[in-house]
Amino acid sequence: MPTPTPLRRCTLMLAGCLMLAGDKSPCAPAAPPQADARQADARQATDAESPATPVANIYRQKCERCHGADGGGTPDGYSKPFQPDQSLEELTTIIVETMPEEDPQLCVGEEARQLARYIRRQLISRSEPAPEPRISRLTVSQYRNAVADVIGHFAPSARQRNETSNGSARRGGGAGGDSEVPGLRGDYYQSAGMNKAHRLGHYRSDNRMEFDFGSEAPVPSLTADQFAIIWQGALSADHTGNYEFRLSTENGARLYLNFDPTPDRRALRDDSSVAGQQALIDAWVGSGEHRQRTARVFLLGGRSYPIRLEFFKYLEDDASIKLEWKPPHGTWQVLDYNHTSTSQPDRVFVSQAPFPADDRSLGFERGVSASPQWQTATMHGAVQAASEVVDRLPLLAELNELQGQQRVARTHQFVRDFATVAFRRPLREDEQQLLPTLVGDDVASLESGVRRAVILVLMSPSFLYPDLTPDGEAPTPWTVASRLSFALWDSIPDAQLTRTAADGKLQTRDQIQSQASRMLRDPRAKAKMQGFFRHWLELEQRDLAKDEELYPTFDEAVVADLRRSLELFIDRVVWDQDSDYRELLRADYLMLNDRLAALYAPDASADNAKLDGEEIKRRARRRQFASEFQPVDFPPEKRSGILTHPYLLSAFAYHNNTSPIHRGVFLTRNIVGRALSPPPMAIAFKDDEFPKELTMREKVTHLTRDAACMSCHSIINPLGFTLENFDAVGRWRDSDNQRPVDPTSQYTTAAGATLQLASARDVANFAVESPSAHRAFVTHFFEHVVKRRPSEFRPGLVDELSDRFVTEDFNIQKLWTQIAALVAAQDFDPPPKLPSEN
Amino acid sequence: MSTAFESRRRFLRDLGVGAATMPFLAGLTSLRAEESIAPQRRKRLVVMFSPNGTLPDEFWPDEFGDQTPLKLKPMLQALEPFREQTLILKGIDNKVRGDGDNHMRGMSCLLTATELNPGNIQGGGHTPAGWAGGISIDQEVRRFFQSDDRTKTRFGSLEFGVAVPNRADPWTRMCYAGSDRPIAPIDDPGQMFEKLYGGAQDRQTVASVLDRIGDDLARVSSKLSSADRSLLQEHLESVRKLEIDIAAASGETQLLHPEPEIDPNIELVNDNTPEISRMQIELLVNALANDMTRVASLQFMRSVGQARMRWLDIQDGHHSLSHEPDGNEQAHAKLMRINQWFAGELAFLAKRLAETPEPGRPGESLLDNTQIVWLNELGKGNSHTLDNIPFLLVGGGADFRTGRALDFDGAAHNRLWLALAHGLGHRDLQTFGSAAYCEGGAIDLG
Repeated sequence: MPTPTPLRRCTLMLAGCLMLAGDKSPCAPAAPPQADARQADARQATDAESPATPVANIYRQKCERCHGADGGGTPDGYSKPFQPDQSLEELTTIIVETMPEEDPQLCVGEEARQLARYIRRQLISRSEPAPEPRISRLTVSQYRNAVADVIGHFAPSARQRNETSNGSARRGGGAGGDSEVPGLRGDYYQSAGMNKAHRLGHYRSDNRMEFDFGSEAPVPSLTADQFAIIWQGALSADHTGNYEFRLSTENGARLYLNFDPTPDRRALRDDSSVAGQQALIDAWVGSGEHRQRTARVFLLGGRSYPIRLEFFKYLEDDASIKLEWKPPHGTWQVLDYNHTSTSQPDRVFVSQAPFPADDRSLGFERGVSASPQWQTATMHGAVQAASEVVDRLPLLAELNELQGQQRVARTHQFVRDFATVAFRRPLREDEQQLLPTLVGDDVASLESGVRRAVILVLMSPSFLYPDLTPDGEAPTPWTVASRLSFALWDSIPDAQLTRTAADGKLQTRDQIQSQASRMLRDPRAKAKMQGFFRHWLELEQRDLAKDEELYPTFDEAVVADLRRSLELFIDRVVWDQDSDYRELLRADYLMLNDRLAALYAPDASADNAKLDGEEIKRRARRRQFASEFQPVDFPPEKRSGILTHPYLLSAFAYHNNTSPIHRGVFLTRNIVGRALSPPPMAIAFKDDEFPKELTMREKVTHLTRDAACMSCHSIINPLGFTLENFDAVGRWRDSDNQRPVDPTSQYTTAAGATLQLASARDVANFAVESPSAHRAFVTHFFEHVVKRRPSEFRPGLVDELSDRFVTEDFNIQKLWTQIAALVAAQDFDPPPKLPSEN
Repeated sequence: MSTAFESRRRFLRDLGVGAATMPFLAGLTSLRAEESIAPQRRKRLVVMFSPNGTLPDEFWPDEFGDQTPLKLKPMLQALEPFREQTLILKGIDNKVRGDGDNHMRGMSCLLTATELNPGNIQGGGHTPAGWAGGISIDQEVRRFFQSDDRTKTRFGSLEFGVAVPNRADPWTRMCYAGSDRPIAPIDDPGQMFEKLYGGAQDRQTVASVLDRIGDDLARVSSKLSSADRSLLQEHLESVRKLEIDIAAASGETQLLHPEPEIDPNIELVNDNTPEISRMQIELLVNALANDMTRVASLQFMRSVGQARMRWLDIQDGHHSLSHEPDGNEQAHAKLMRINQWFAGELAFLAKRLAETPEPGRPGESLLDNTQIVWLNELGKGNSHTLDNIPFLLVGGGADFRTGRALDFDGAAHNRLWLALAHGLGHRDLQTFGSAAYCEGGAIDLG
């Protein structure tokens, strides 16, 4: 294995470089991996420099303006203290190559080295004793998940599962069991006047919520003049965010979402109603005209929600109904089997509390502030959750028909159980006593009491902080379980994990890891994994809109499909048994549906042959599944995993042209794992100022020819040029500006070796062999999973995890369970004592 | 009574409008104090609905006419204290025809006075129909009030319900913002309280547990290293700030009339209807007193409502009873009790308004400036007639001459709504609902 080379670190927080409207600057700092080279560095000890020495003067002249007299940073310059864990070599390299930022040539050679030593000894060591706090509160996403799962713990089918489960994990959290199939179950009823569900004529699962019955009956067993259909099942939400729904019909229809399913399917009568259920869209009363109703609802990703659509025709000429939705990052589309199933999940409580955004200054979300705004949000969150609990109390607490003191006793037990689940540990004696006191003994005011108890529980530190174990104290089994579930689900432990902990079976690394493996199969783990890729691949807030004249077919629908294509590809790779990081970078296929295939694989989908009757019928059948994504193979030199996924190629491109710089920066930082310093000057890419006949490659080469630019662009450009075979929307091209594309270049590795690159695949092959690429990936992954930096746990942790990652065939799932188990038990070897530098 | 409950009640009395309403109440002068009251008279409208027709022989007085003092029959005895401010109108018919059965048209054409749109809802007979095709008179008055800064209020109108089933169709809706735009009444006093006074109750609950949260934070914090403690310290400070904010907010912006006490634990079930009704009336009067709105409606049940009024010792459903033939003495007696009860609720509403002084107008009560209109979707239950709808008006909001009963002998109710609009100041309204029924203009109630 090649020796790790010192990494360049960007230490300045500056925007700049190429100014792109509506885009992140390619030079915004990423969070590069840490190197832990303190020990090696300690051997380099030299004489201490007092503040009066020449090197101190150099610091004052060249560094102090931005970094402050004590190295703590300045508001206008670099706002943070020096990093304590950079080696002398690293620091020297940074100074030589990037400092001072206005002219990196001003401080090189021995001067740079002395300066690095001075900074380490005089400035870093001085501020070093202040360790990072280990305590953090729940992040916003952890909070939402945890509240949903605390309440969800008491929902009927979860309760049933908790009581009966004997170690077998069930997917989706539904009670549908084995009979669960994609699509929604449709019950087709003959109506008789006011009684819409007079007689069940037919049932089946329907794949696509778009029906045009015309003047006919939907099934032969019903008459055409009056009938009703109830569709029900589960809707799965991939992303957290706002979902819009649009119901179109000229008849009557009601859409219910995320309700408590009632055990009996009550007959639909015009003169009766199902109590306590509020329709999301009520278009029951027709007006003789075709109409559309929309509604919006906020949902948590990685969960399934009960859905029911009721529809009826009564003496109108025609009948049709269409239910569309617009998920986050999606466009309007007919709801279909891709996101529905016939299972019957519990209602999920989705907290709407207006939380301020979490700190992301280190590149990942952390709960490091308990501001008044956050406090107010936790209050709103607790109040909302309390209303939810009180509204559903008979169901959640199983009050049934209990009266009097029995009802009181059951309610007391419920608030204790609620607190136990929320605190993820057995209650202390004083808590056991307090909670029933809050509820009181008066059966008439139980609900006020429950409201109060729930608010107290959900505003308590025991709920809001994932881990309050004092330093040096051994974690309890409950703590281990809680750490594990937050690392895997960003949520609280489920009943099985809690039971395992209670049974004392969560002690050895193997025991913990086996629970972790089980928990990986839960949809919440899938959602968390998607969150990692959203972060690593910088998918958030991307504007992929392109020039409509140049790319007329590249519309919103294509962008939404591309996003899904990328997510499906990632899911396919990471949830494969091999879960191979290398496959992510090197796969030679894309997930395409019909619409994308027309754009990205025209050869495969073009079919100009005259269609015979069979073929037309086949295609009509296929149309129903046009949204289906299939892997489509490409010649290996034409596609290479995420590097050439059209979503990313489009995201890192101009609206009317490619951008080798954006693509190159992405490859450098996120794939190859090298750090870049911010650009020495801000330069705008003005396409129209170049001679018309130039290729993009020539323009970029010209623009960055300056020596100051080339310290970074000698890395960025060669990587970016390898993707010049892909246009601004990620289609393959052989020519640019009527001249052949030249994707070849020479790339100098961090270790100083020279590589010949001719394609994205060459970059991918380099990355899968490159330790710095592995470390970058592992670091990003660790931070996303744990919400803390690996260096806070132990020096050298990333190197160890990276080595293990390589020896275990780059298995991402294994990496995750290892990290989770490690963090859960925190049975690290004691941290090596920091040797004195003298 | 538990301490939790007691402190909730105390809170409701003490807090006033409270923290949660602060942000959106700031700047609304009408809520502040006496000195900001405009000298102009505040006219108000309250529509009260009860379903399934009345008992004509128990409702209509024996004598009508300009010069005859009003005599109330026993069924309406509860209104005796307000007899001088009562006006009973006979011979006013809902003449709207078209799609829909009589209950549907009775309900959805009552305040709109226009035809139902064609639709898909099948009633007990006749053709199916949809929503009403126009705005209802209360919403028309609301629109008129809201168009002028001098009469504009925070809510414009409030729609209260009592035991209205959770479904939306032409039998359950009488208020319409326009064609095909039914307005759902709020039949949960808790929800209405929340709408009027924000999360004041919840904040108090939060305030009552903040001390314990502070203690917990301190306890946890004491075991941690100083570096780990900083976040909890910040958290603790935020808790204290929240405590201060809640306390401070409760001291400011007192309502002219503190909000009424609402039992937050009331279950929305049929048997609690009497309590719910009183809560809604209290909230309604309070909203008028604080000038949050000048238009309100109070809808009991719905057309064809099957409330089982066990609190009146009646086990049968109201609608079924109303179908019984005239000779059924038992049913008659029960319907008598039912309508007595409704009259009692109306009397309670009038009483609460009469007890509340009109701000800035010494000697006047809210009732003096509020026009209450009690109505029904049918004239008579067992005939389903839309003629002779029992219109009973109480109060002085529209400046009608009261203390009498008049018989208009077959006037379209459109003309009553014109008179009402004019009486409330909306004098430009020339026709309302179906213009075909507006001939003759507003009926004369002066």
